[in-house]
Amino acid sequence: MKYKLEFIWLSLVTLSLFAYIMGQVEYFPKLFSILLLLGTLVKGQLITDYFMGLKSVRLKYRLIPTLWLGIVISLIAVAYYLPYEASY
Amino acid sequence: MSSASVPNLTSKSSHPPGDFAIWIVIYVELLTFGLLFMGYIFSRRSNVELFNASQLVLNQTSGFVNTFILITSSYFIVKAVQSIKIMAKEQQEKANLLASKWILSAMFLGLIFLGIKVWEFSHIFSLGITLSTNSFFMFYLMLTMFHFMHVMLGLIIFFNIYQKMRLHGYSLKDHSGLETGASYWHLVDLLWIVLFPLVYILR
Repeated sequence: MKYKLEFIWLSLVTLSLFAYIMGQVEYFPKLFSILLLLGTLVKGQLITDYFMGLKSVRLKYRLIPTLWLGIVISLIAVAYYLPYEASY
Repeated sequence: MSSASVPNLTSKSSHPPGDFAIWIVIYVELLTFGLLFMGYIFSRRSNVELFNASQLVLNQTSGFVNTFILITSSYFIVKAVQSIKIMAKEQQEKANLLASKWILSAMFLGLIFLGIKVWEFSHIFSLGITLSTNSFFMFYLMLTMFHFMHVMLGLIIFFNIYQKMRLHGYSLKDHSGLETGASYWHLVDLLWIVLFPLVYILR
């Protein structure tokens, strides 16, 4: 693909723009947070694979940032969705 | 750097781009920021209303502009590495010249990022907000100032890379220093990619 890098850049910008637009909406439903976190996961993976160039190196080097992303995003989701007691 | 510049797409490289030491740094930084992100999101659980109210003080537009800036500067850096990888075999001087233009453009964007952050910090401080105002601002200031310092270090690294480029110092065989700096900058980008939705958007 001739303009692969440009496509990656455009995807990153578009996903960030969607995140920004979601942030502008006054009512922030739970669905938005799922989309936001999934978008962040995709963006992070695009950066590690194509900007850092880890897609073309051995799996063990690619696995560390991929696992980091997966764990961090999952824990953010857990902390966000677990029921909490309101503080007064 | 990018897969577009890898000559043989079927074989995987045995080492990540750049000096291996930078990858140790990258993994440590990922761990450090990961813990800070966890600290933020789990602290938020104990006072969601406070975090949501404090978040309104932040300017989401400047956060988005900074995201755009870092993504674009990362793209410029990949182009700089590509210039050396693709052109340096035939025309080393021309390749270095072209790569130096990409590096300068990325540095310019990095400076704009810092300028926007300084403006944001001065706005926050003018409201009398400090690290001890509340948990949200403690994490916000800690995370973004720590990240700010990483951007500054990245610019210093690129300044040195640029100096070497002016002397046509990078070749097809010797461009590890450039890849090392590039990998560090992509880390800075990756961290911001998580930081932006977490601190500015998620509520």
